[in-house]
Amino acid sequence: MKNKKKIPLYYWRRLSQLACLALFFFLFIRTDYSGSDTIEYAVNILFRIDPLLALSASLAAGFFILLMLPAVATVLLTLILGRFFCGWICPMGTLLDGCRTMAPHTGTGKERRYRPLKFYLLGFLLVGAWFGLPMAGYFDPFSILVRGLALAVDPALHAMATTFFTYTYQEAPAWVNGVTEPVYAFLKATILPFSQKYYDLAMLSLGILLLVFLLERVERRFFCRNICPLGALFAVTARFSLLRGKAGASCGKCRNCREVCRMGAIDEERNISPLDCNLCLDCIHQCPGNKISFQFSRLSQGRAAFALSRRNFVGSLALGALLPFFLKSRTLARQSDEFLIRPPGALPEEEFVGRCVRCGECMKVCIGNGLQPAFLQGGLEGMFSPILKARTGYCEYNCTLCGQVCPSGAIRKLGAEEKKKQKIGNASFDRDRCLPYAKGIPCIVCEEHCPTPDKAIKFREVAVENSRGEKVTVKQPYLMDALCIGCGICETKCPLPGASAVMVTSGGESRNPAKALPDTGTAWQVI
Amino acid sequence: MDRREFLRQVALWSAGLSVGVPHFTIGEALAADDRLPLLAHATGKNYRDLVDRVLSPLGGMEKFVRPSDKVVVKPNIGWDRNPAQAANTHPQVVRVLVERALDAGAGEVLVFDRTCNEERRCYVNSGIQEALAGIKDKRLKLFHPDERKYIPVDIERGKAVRRLDIYRDALEADSYINVPVAKHHGLSRLTMGLKNSMGVLGGTRGAMHHNLGQKLADLATVIRPRLTVIDATRILLANGPQGGNLDDVRVLDTVIASVDPVAADAYATTLFGLKPEEIESTVAAYKLGLGEMDLKKIRVVQA
Repeated sequence: MKNKKKIPLYYWRRLSQLACLALFFFLFIRTDYSGSDTIEYAVNILFRIDPLLALSASLAAGFFILLMLPAVATVLLTLILGRFFCGWICPMGTLLDGCRTMAPHTGTGKERRYRPLKFYLLGFLLVGAWFGLPMAGYFDPFSILVRGLALAVDPALHAMATTFFTYTYQEAPAWVNGVTEPVYAFLKATILPFSQKYYDLAMLSLGILLLVFLLERVERRFFCRNICPLGALFAVTARFSLLRGKAGASCGKCRNCREVCRMGAIDEERNISPLDCNLCLDCIHQCPGNKISFQFSRLSQGRAAFALSRRNFVGSLALGALLPFFLKSRTLARQSDEFLIRPPGALPEEEFVGRCVRCGECMKVCIGNGLQPAFLQGGLEGMFSPILKARTGYCEYNCTLCGQVCPSGAIRKLGAEEKKKQKIGNASFDRDRCLPYAKGIPCIVCEEHCPTPDKAIKFREVAVENSRGEKVTVKQPYLMDALCIGCGICETKCPLPGASAVMVTSGGESRNPAKALPDTGTAWQVI
Repeated sequence: MDRREFLRQVALWSAGLSVGVPHFTIGEALAADDRLPLLAHATGKNYRDLVDRVLSPLGGMEKFVRPSDKVVVKPNIGWDRNPAQAANTHPQVVRVLVERALDAGAGEVLVFDRTCNEERRCYVNSGIQEALAGIKDKRLKLFHPDERKYIPVDIERGKAVRRLDIYRDALEADSYINVPVAKHHGLSRLTMGLKNSMGVLGGTRGAMHHNLGQKLADLATVIRPRLTVIDATRILLANGPQGGNLDDVRVLDTVIASVDPVAADAYATTLFGLKPEEIESTVAAYKLGLGEMDLKKIRVVQA
C-alpha cells in the first residue's frame, strides 16, 4: 500500500529516542524509597545492558557477572543492527541531539583526528580492569550522566524549587499561593526528590557532564565519535554487523548526506562506515536522488578499517597493563584510609572497586544521604565509588536499597536481617569534645539514636565536676564494639557544631577479617 | 496570654510582614485549676473500644473538638519501627482519635511528626500511614513537616530555653491532641507526653538534651494540648526510645487520658514502677504550674 505521506523512517528513530529517554528519567526518579522495602522496578537496567561495564566489571571479577547478562543481548543486537544503540536508545546521545540547537557546533564536522581516541581508551580500560585499575566508570556515558544528574542536577532542582516556593510562600499574597502551593505539591509528588541531599564531588560530576555537552561545540556528537568507550565497543562489534547503509556509487556533488551525518560516518566517496554510523537514518531523506538505503548484507562483505596507529594502540594496552602495578607502590596499598567506609554488603575492597561501575545509583537511593562519592580516599581507581560519610548522613538500619540498585553486585543484595548483621565500621568517642566527658553536660543523643536492639552505645552514670565547678551526675557514653554495625547515625546526630564527638571508622568491618577488633573475636569473620 | 494576639503575630511573621519574633506570654490563665485533675485509665484488648472508653469520663471527644476546629493529633512516629516494637504510638489508637475528631465535626485534622529516622520509613513502618489511609475523609491530612513552616517563638516563661522553632500548625491548632507512646528513654528515663511535643520543633533538636527536663517544661508552656492520650497498649522497658527487641516490650493493653499533661505523665510513670518525682520533665513542668504531679491529687477514673 503506497501512502503518499509515508512516515519518514527517522521519525521512528526519534520516537524510540524519546521513549527511551522518558523511560530513563522515569527509572531515575524511581531510584528512591517508595514506601516499600524493595524497589519494584529494575531501576538499574540501563547499567545492566551496557556491555562496556559488563565486560570491565567481569574482567575485574574474573568471571562473568550474571547480573549483567542483559548486556549480551545488546551485543547480539549490535551484531545485527550495528551501532543502533547510540542512535536509537542511548539517553546521553538523545540529550546531546536535543541540545544541538542550544550549542551549535562550530567545527567542520569532518574532524577525523580524534576518531581513534575511543579505541585506545577502550583498550586501556579493559586491560586496566583486568590488571586491577578499574576506570571504565569514569568514561562510561551512563555513569557520567547518572552521576551528574544524581549528585548535582537533582539536588539543585530541589534547591531551586524550595527557594522559589519559599519565596512565594513567605512574600506573595494568598491568591498567588492558591496557585503556587498546588503546583509545588504536584512537583513534589512527581519529579522533585523527596528531600534536599548533599553530595561530595557534586561540582566535579556536573563539570564532567557539562564538558560532554560543551564538546558539541566542536562537532556534533563529539563525545560519541571520539571518546565514548562504549561507543568504541559497539563500533568494534558493528564491524561485523549485518545491517549496513549503502549510498549510490554514482551520484552528484551535493554531499547532503555528509553534511547531515551526526556521526561523520560518510566519507568523500559516500561509503557509510558501520564503525561510526548510528543508524539515525537522516541521510536517507536528505539524498535528493534517493540513493541511500539500509539493507541486510552478507557476512562476506568488506570490513571497515579502524584507522588506528598500531603503536598508540599497543601503547594504551601496555599502559593499562603496567599502571596497576604502580598502584601497589602507594601507602594505600598497605594501609587503607580509615574513613573508607563501604556500604553494607560491599565486597572485599579490591573486588568491590573492580566491580563498582561508578553509576551513582547507590548514592541516589541512599535515604540517609550517607553514601557519598569518594575522591581519593580509595586511590585513583576508587573515585566516585560510594563511601559512608557519617557526618553528612547515616546508613538507615532497616534499609537495604543500595544493594538492590547496584547493577554489578559490587554491593551485594542483602535481606533485611542479614543487612543488620553487616558491620561496616566502628564508632569511637573523642572524650575531649564529647559533652558529658569534656564539660560535664548531659547529652547522649548518640545513645538515643543507636539503632541496634541491644544498643551498641551504652552509658555509665558518673559524678563529675562540670565546667562551672558544680558536682553533677552525667551519663557518659561508651561503645560495645561487638554490637556496633558502623551505621554512623551517632556521628550524624551528634549535636556538637563542626566535627562530631563520636566518629565512625572502617575498623572492624566484617568484609575484611584482618580488621577485626580485639573484643569482637571472630563473631563476624568469614570462615 | 492573649491567644488571638499571638496568632496574629504568627501570621504576620509567616507572611514576612513582621520581623518581630512571636512572643508567647503566659499569664494567670495558666495557674492550676483548683479542682483535682481528672485522669481516665482503661484496659482492654480491643484498642478501638479502649480509646472510646477512656474518653468517656472526660466527656468524649466533643468536649475537646468543636465543629470546624483545626485539630492537630500528634502521635509519636519518630522511629523506623513496627507497632509491636513499641517505639511509636499504636496506629489503632491514632486512628480512633482521628475518627472521633472527625465525628465531632473538626474542620480539619492534621497528623504529623518530625521523625528521627527517615521520614517516609517511619510513617510506613509505624503502621500509622496505612491505618489512616483507611479513613476516607478529605479533612484528614497526614503529612511530613514542611521546612518552611517552622516559626521562631520566644518562650517568655522559659527557664532553660528562650527561643524555639515551632511548627506553625501546632501553634495555630484550635485543639491540639497529644498522643504519645509511653516508653523507656536513656537520658530522661521515660518519654511520654511532654517529650512527644519535641516532634513539633524545627532546627537541631539535639541541643534540647542539655537540661532536657527543664527544656521540655519550657516547651510545654507553649505547646499546650487540650487533651493528652498516652498509649500504653504496649510499653518499651529498655533500649528506648527506639527499642527493636521484643523482649523489652511489655503488653499492658492500657490507655490513659487527661486534660492535664503533667498528671498524664505522672500517672503513666507508675506503669513502669517509677515515681513521678524521678522524671525531671514532670517535676519541672509541675514547678512551672503546668499541671499536677502529686498522684494523691489526681482523680483517677477506671473507664
